[in-house]
Amino acid sequence: MNFTMHSRAKLTGWLFVSLAVILICVFYFYPMIQALLLSFKTGAGANLHFNGISNYKRLFSDKTLLTAVQNTFLYLIVQVPIMIILAMIISVLLNDSKLRFKSFFRTAIFLPCVTSLVAYSVVFKYLFGNDGLVNMLLTKLHLIAQPIQWISDPFWAKITIIIAITWRWTGYNMIFFLSSLQNIDYSIYEAARIDGASAVKQFISITVPMLKPIVLFTSITSTIGTLQLFDEVMNITKGGPGNATLSISQYIYNLSFKYTPDFGYAATVSYSVVAMIVVLSVLQIKLAGDK
Amino acid sequence: MKKKISAVLLASLILATGCSSKAPDTTASPTTATGGDKTETKAETKEVTVWAWDKNFNIAAMKLAQEAYAKDHPDVKINIVEYAQDDIIQKLNTGLNSGTTTGLPNVVLIEDYRAQSFLKAYPDSFQDLSSSIKASDFADYKIGPTSLNGKQYGVPFDSGVAGLYVRTDYLEQAGYKVDDMKNIDWQKFIEIGKAVKAKTGKDMLTQDPNDLGLIRMMIQSAGSWYLKSDGATPDLKDNAALKDAFQTYKELMNANIVKITSDWNAFVAGFNSGDVATVPTGNWITPSVKAKADQAGKWAVVPFPKLKNTSSSVNASNLGGSSWYVLNNPGKEAAADFLAKTLGSDVNLYQKLVTDIGVIGTLKAAASGDAYSKADDYFGGQKVISDFANWTTQIPKVNYGMHTYAIEDILKVEMQNYLKGTELDKVLNDAQSQAEAQVK
Repeated sequence: MNFTMHSRAKLTGWLFVSLAVILICVFYFYPMIQALLLSFKTGAGANLHFNGISNYKRLFSDKTLLTAVQNTFLYLIVQVPIMIILAMIISVLLNDSKLRFKSFFRTAIFLPCVTSLVAYSVVFKYLFGNDGLVNMLLTKLHLIAQPIQWISDPFWAKITIIIAITWRWTGYNMIFFLSSLQNIDYSIYEAARIDGASAVKQFISITVPMLKPIVLFTSITSTIGTLQLFDEVMNITKGGPGNATLSISQYIYNLSFKYTPDFGYAATVSYSVVAMIVVLSVLQIKLAGDK
Repeated sequence: MKKKISAVLLASLILATGCSSKAPDTTASPTTATGGDKTETKAETKEVTVWAWDKNFNIAAMKLAQEAYAKDHPDVKINIVEYAQDDIIQKLNTGLNSGTTTGLPNVVLIEDYRAQSFLKAYPDSFQDLSSSIKASDFADYKIGPTSLNGKQYGVPFDSGVAGLYVRTDYLEQAGYKVDDMKNIDWQKFIEIGKAVKAKTGKDMLTQDPNDLGLIRMMIQSAGSWYLKSDGATPDLKDNAALKDAFQTYKELMNANIVKITSDWNAFVAGFNSGDVATVPTGNWITPSVKAKADQAGKWAVVPFPKLKNTSSSVNASNLGGSSWYVLNNPGKEAAADFLAKTLGSDVNLYQKLVTDIGVIGTLKAAASGDAYSKADDYFGGQKVISDFANWTTQIPKVNYGMHTYAIEDILKVEMQNYLKGTELDKVLNDAQSQAEAQVK
């Protein structure tokens, strides 16, 4: 065989990437295909057998899944905007060149996202317990007469989860905004000030539009994160009271491990999450992204 | 260059073959060469690995069994590993499902509520112990969860017999005696609870809305369960005991005598801090009750209340309870022998379990031992162990089946609906149809 110089180089290139390709195939695509096959099987534990699309039919009549999806979307609709706006505001405040102890504040706000998910969830569970610190403080300050049942009341349990994930992830998103803010040319603000634009006007008309790509990025990653929400719910409320805080991921866990193991249906539910993430991400890009 | 290419090829080849050895579909035979090697090495050293949860209870009991066995069998090494119950379930499920036995223990503790789902979901993964222990040596109600198709798979362990722990001092302040609490029904309990609340300001009991243990105890006291006796068909819609239990639970909740808690720690704190007057639960709570030395003499244990409107309900029930299982993997013979000679038959060991740890076993012969009839000063000289052992014999036998927790999650939601005002029949009908979709 007579390789030309070009095709030899090409072959070498392929050989170099082949290891990575094989690794990706084995550890990403193979499990994904296996899970897809699994989603067509039913049976308890190891007694699995193919059962057509019955699992997918079951998806649409599953009341518990519906509750889980509703809860997850509630977190999504309420928490993600709050978090992103908060992250944006904090990052703008911290970007002020006159602010002192800047790095201290940045570290302090970023710190929650380096703590372990389980550890912080457990701490939150104690803070928000019926006899917890939060209730104690609120009672001492005479803001409430009766302790709020943060974890055992369906409404407040949802609020607790939202507070917890906001605390954990705002700092993470703030970092993206900060890095983006530093790329906005200072002269734009100078020009605006000369034209007499107020700070608020500057924020709305300059900062927000300039941050649009980051808003898109953080909202897509937050959406994916929220759809996969597990640790907080599992550790703070266990999905309760009465499935009031159940997330889709926790339902998948329950189907696999808490109930009689039904890995087939659990895989089906997992694939429904994939479908939701794809649809939402496409929507977000279409709505906010540049063509 | 060539060397590099061949190195890459070699690496990918190793990787591909390493991952392509597909695990067998069933866990029937641990097959392959590695499995065979294991048998040989295990036969020489005889190591038995045990997984269990709860350091002060199950692990402590296993350690006593280990000591007892070591005297006559110095050649067998028993490794006891502590995991949380959830972790054990997760590890067992993934291990058994993947079809490899590497990394799994020889002996494992499984809660009775879950036992059938493991036995049925992973056929041939557990060792038949029918020839090692005699099922009839153990309390009758433990045989249902631990056996399948007439074969005995589990060594029945702790009893989980329920009792009503009461604060005698609070009762007296409210004008009642301990005797007034004996063999009562739940309506009487609520009545006394209201008096206690009025006189002492203390709640009668704690409840976690996310845990329907009380409902479970109530219906088992009537010989009823979430499933029909076949262990598979949901029995919620026309289940009279369940209806009675739901109504009783609502009455209890509306009587303003319940302190709401959200987790185990708050539950324990509830009685340790003296906030509640009673604890209706399994006997495994005894060590936690006794943890408060300054409350010594203030507690007594009376029979579990029964359901008023269900004639089959008795003053005895069960909560939790677990049993030991041997996995069908290399080393099973040693593991079965270890269990058979200790927790499967050793009456003396059971005396030690009672005195040292407070574990009430279900080996019938053990109940006649001295340790069972000892008075307990913490409970004002009451012979609590013999009382519990006595109630153990009265617990109605039910088939927990495979789906306890799946159905309970449905019921939790419906219970919330019921408490909010939805009609009981509708609530149970909805639960029934959801359960049928869930467990098919």
